[in-house]
Amino acid sequence: MILQLSGHTLLVFVGIPVLVVSVVALLVFAPSIASGPRYRPGLSWWAPPVWIGGPEPTKPNPANLPELPAGNSTATAATGVARTTGGASASW
Amino acid sequence: MPAGDAFTPDQLWDLERAVRHAETASGLHFSVYVGGADSETRPFAVELLNELPDPDHSVLVYVDPAGRRLEIVTGSAAKRQLSDTSAGLAALAMQTSFAAGDLTGGLVTGVQQLGDHAHLPTLLHANEPHTQ
Repeated sequence: MILQLSGHTLLVFVGIPVLVVSVVALLVFAPSIASGPRYRPGLSWWAPPVWIGGPEPTKPNPANLPELPAGNSTATAATGVARTTGGASASW
Repeated sequence: MPAGDAFTPDQLWDLERAVRHAETASGLHFSVYVGGADSETRPFAVELLNELPDPDHSVLVYVDPAGRRLEIVTGSAAKRQLSDTSAGLAALAMQTSFAAGDLTGGLVTGVQQLGDHAHLPTLLHANEPHTQ
């Protein structure tokens, strides 16, 4: 049996399926593309630090922050420095 | 997470709006830091709080996405307005969203919750003389 592939046959059996698959794939991936990068727990984080409501509008480099006092979770009493702190911690 | 900015402009706008709302409701200064820590997260978060202009009246939310750690640090005056229990409840809400991969939603919800818990009750008739 000799199969003769005409242009019309290719269009129906190849072109239309490819078009349908492309449309479905676009519909699936469009929301994630539009919403931007998504955080996935457990994977690495390469984004630079973001500080909203920080001391200055530019994003600070953590390497430029002052050295921490060893083993002391509360800062020393000084002008402009919180004497005692409260709050909460969590991990996921 | 691919290389690039942590948040889209829309997400940043949502976060900034939540911070402004919390500040308006509570009268405290709110700050959100998302990034890695060079050392232990708690001392690092306290150090970030002390970088703020008025740390005593500030609340810092620190998130380390890579280390999967969250710290809420309140200054000495903010601590009286926002108890550790309330901060713990907000941390729990954020923790749930973060575990599901929703960093922005968790931060927005958490900051809003912190602002609501630290809400100052309106003083009625505070400027009127006391009459009997």
